[in-house]
Amino acid sequence: MPCNDALQVQAYFDGELDAPAAVEVERHLESCAECALLLADLEETRRLVRDNAAYHRADDDLRERIAGMMDREGGRPEKPARGFIGDRRFLSGLTSGVGATALAAAFIFFLAAPPAPNLLVADVTNAHLRSLMSDHLIDVVSSDHHTVKPWFAGHADVSPPAIDYAKQGFRLIGGRADFVDGHRAAVVVYRHGLHVINVFAWAADGEKLPDAVTRNGYHIVFWKSGDLVFCAVSDTGESELTELVRLMKETKT
Amino acid sequence: MSDRRRRFEAQALPHLDAAYNLARWLARPPLDADDIVQDAMLRAFRAFDSVRGDDVKPWLMSIVRNCFLTAVQSSKAKLNVPIPSDDEIAADDRALMAEHLDPEAAAIQAERSRHLNSVIATLPQDFREVLVLREMEDMSYREIAQITGNPVGTVMSRLARARALLKEKCQLDGERGRHAMQ
Repeated sequence: MPCNDALQVQAYFDGELDAPAAVEVERHLESCAECALLLADLEETRRLVRDNAAYHRADDDLRERIAGMMDREGGRPEKPARGFIGDRRFLSGLTSGVGATALAAAFIFFLAAPPAPNLLVADVTNAHLRSLMSDHLIDVVSSDHHTVKPWFAGHADVSPPAIDYAKQGFRLIGGRADFVDGHRAAVVVYRHGLHVINVFAWAADGEKLPDAVTRNGYHIVFWKSGDLVFCAVSDTGESELTELVRLMKETKT
Repeated sequence: MSDRRRRFEAQALPHLDAAYNLARWLARPPLDADDIVQDAMLRAFRAFDSVRGDDVKPWLMSIVRNCFLTAVQSSKAKLNVPIPSDDEIAADDRALMAEHLDPEAAAIQAERSRHLNSVIATLPQDFREVLVLREMEDMSYREIAQITGNPVGTVMSRLARARALLKEKCQLDGERGRHAMQ
């Protein structure tokens, strides 16, 4: 039976642990023969792959094709954003019922086209849903803004204020880095009753912000403050969400 | 030359080999890795003004992966990768042998590589991609999670499974090989 610490040993091997956690694993390795064996296996597998597996490099032909592509693209003015429902491939994905693949395909267009406001709404809705479906809601768990705000500095492009409004009913539960509209957004996560509220923040670049909308039962409010764009998303009541937005706008940082 | 192109050449093109390697490990004929990478680079180029320098590699890799999924979808090809054809293997072997002076050592090395490549190629896509990103590209769990759209926990368990499968298959086949030689 595999030891419960197997994944931790793997994380140690991959250099993913901080110093105290690494010391703990090293201590564990001294007493657990099974994990010591696992570590040796991991090293062997890595050597096998790095020494023997094929690494495919792009050839000159492909490099030339890409240079040609940039020549054709280079002189052109910015194209208008492509509507994603209108994309044939997305529709065929949708109609063939392979929802997951269609969704994955759809993400390309969010990544690759400068999003028009409606795409931005779809993008933050997706980011909100992703955070609820996976266990990737929070990267840094804390109700202390002294912990959350500095964490952003190393993990996102911006470092928005992370203030706890527990007295007003909005408890700060942590922060996360996420991708929105091609930006590495900082996300401040609040809990209001049973509802999760994601507040995304990224650097404003003069884009036009969509009006507040409700999409698939999620309320979405955009606003700008200083040089940051904020977007709050939640399935909490519309008036509650507006209240949090009001509190955040009021707080001087 | 436009500013975007200069930045793209300095920050994105250095990752072209990584992008191509991922595409090759994901896609097999009839899907064409060259087409997938070219499609991905075009999309990346058009959107390039919105990325920061240190994010480029995972960002590019996620676009390659998405383009692969789109290609699969439109060609209705299976996600499972067929084992490479004998011709392809023979060509790989010749290339490997040419690098060595000692023919016997070269033959053993070529056989080991051929075998390992077909083991990796036949892993399910979920396992294959985390293995390629971690062991060949040296990407962090967080970056792999970003690229594959999975939580870090899923990345960790898939990576563990991929490595265990790889070891199991190589070990079993290795033992068979020794028996055959006796």
